[in-house]
Amino acid sequence: MTESEQRHPPLVETSGLGKRYGSISAVRDLNISVRRGEVYGFLGPNGAGKTTTLRMLLGLIKPSSGTAKVLGEEPGSPLSLQGVGALVESPAFYPYLSGRDNLRLMADYCGAPHQRVDEVLEQVELAGRARDKFKKYSLGMKQRLGVAAALLKDPELLILDEPTNGLDPKGMADMRALIRRVGHGERTVLLSSHLLGEVEQVCDRVGVIHKGELLTEGTVDELRGGGGILVKVEPVEEARKIAAGLAWVGGAKIEDGMLVLEVDPEKAAEINARLVSEGLRVSELRPVEISLEDAFLEFTRGETV
Amino acid sequence: MLASLGAELLKLRKRPSTWVLGSIWLAVTILLNYTLAYALVSSVPPPTVPEGTPKAQKEQIRAQQEELREQQLEFLYPEYLVSYLTPGFPNLGAPIALILGALAMGSEYGWATFKTILTQRPGRYALFFGKLLALGILLALLVVVTFAAGAVSGYVIASLEGTPVGLPAAGELVRALGAGGLILAIWAALGVLLATLLRSTALSIGLGLVYSFVLETIIFNLPIQSKGFQDAREFFPGQNSNFLADSFSEQSQGGFVPPEPTVDAPQAALVLLAYTAVFILLAAFVFHRRDVT
Repeated sequence: MTESEQRHPPLVETSGLGKRYGSISAVRDLNISVRRGEVYGFLGPNGAGKTTTLRMLLGLIKPSSGTAKVLGEEPGSPLSLQGVGALVESPAFYPYLSGRDNLRLMADYCGAPHQRVDEVLEQVELAGRARDKFKKYSLGMKQRLGVAAALLKDPELLILDEPTNGLDPKGMADMRALIRRVGHGERTVLLSSHLLGEVEQVCDRVGVIHKGELLTEGTVDELRGGGGILVKVEPVEEARKIAAGLAWVGGAKIEDGMLVLEVDPEKAAEINARLVSEGLRVSELRPVEISLEDAFLEFTRGETV
Repeated sequence: MLASLGAELLKLRKRPSTWVLGSIWLAVTILLNYTLAYALVSSVPPPTVPEGTPKAQKEQIRAQQEELREQQLEFLYPEYLVSYLTPGFPNLGAPIALILGALAMGSEYGWATFKTILTQRPGRYALFFGKLLALGILLALLVVVTFAAGAVSGYVIASLEGTPVGLPAAGELVRALGAGGLILAIWAALGVLLATLLRSTALSIGLGLVYSFVLETIIFNLPIQSKGFQDAREFFPGQNSNFLADSFSEQSQGGFVPPEPTVDAPQAALVLLAYTAVFILLAAFVFHRRDVT
């Protein structure tokens, strides 16, 4: 554990977490760590085990193996849930009650004062429709009511499971803006999604899960980057030979007239200096960037989200 | 649990099915037991007396008819409230309580609202027992309102007949309230248990009604004469509900013979209490242990 992690222990930490349903492993040996204040994306295709993991973190289902800590407590314990707000899968409320009454109920369950209901309704921009029955809400409004319920406790940790699922483009944009708004400041957000673009736009760090297993965890840049430098240089073949001879360059090849080097992007200046000193004309140097989608395909060996 | 209780009471109060079922129970109770009964008793035509019957005999027949009418009307007066209404609890009250119990638990599975509630921190036992307490309060209200509506109906009939109004003994009324509550409680608990086990409303209501209306009747009509089987029949929930409810009939009307095998009221109440406790504890255990998917 780093010094920073000792000072600020992760809000969510799992160790070898697993869930089996008969012979099927929904989640296997999962180790994730969500740090305070970040928006953590839990990325994976449908059926990857995201919702199962979140349900375990909320105490809704019991793990078959491994352990988890949420806010330093057992998942689902009152102490843990005290600081957690959650929207799991589709928002579920009482259809015969208004949005406000639904939130009043939830406030009763969590011990929040009723005045908080109006505050969160304002926060998710539902105050104007608070008297309407839940069954009359559009999907976007239902999702926002779900977020409002999750915010009632003013939680340290917000767990949102596919909050943009089924929304139209405007609804998705609104929801992402809302997530960014509520995730601002000290609050930590754990966001599960199968949408790469969403994770790319909203999240600081990402854990990629596939078939119940965590494939990788890191910042969006780390996942996208993966190292490498693109160099536009003349003559390119001579540049490739020089670069290939450098001990700290993993590989050098020519693609579309550009020199592609497997090397830490931090070494760009050294590469430039070396090529120029050899009398080559360098006109462009930039890190190799792949989209998160490409990175995801690479991690999942070609299986789409 | 008190926080859960407040939320559960709000849900019950605002839920249309609560009002629909309560209204059906009250309307049928009053319509059948009072309105229809009074209309029938009042509209009985005078007996046809053959021509040439002596005047004295005619007077005697009329007096007998009047006496019979008085006897029939008597049961509608508030004084006979307990003996008149309590026996009806297993017939209509039990299915309605079963439906209310199944709805209270099963709808949460149907709407997937347990996941929303449980992530708010109430704790599973607090949520479950808060729900049951709210259901218990609703059933208690139903019992009280039923007797109150019966008393008002009886008062109106007595007034129409110009008869002085008497009231049942307080002790007897309290016992009837308790018995009515217990009969509703056991069936509501069965509804809760079935809905918890099956995670469904419709199936649990269906199975519960099939049990209460069909299965026990079939079992009771099986031509098995062994003493063990006969004794076992004394421990069925439906039969004990009837024994407990009918014990009030017997007391007030005298001469009423309840169906065999007879079980006295305290034993019937104990059996019902045991069933209620077992149903609730089993449902609580399952609800606490199971994953919420």
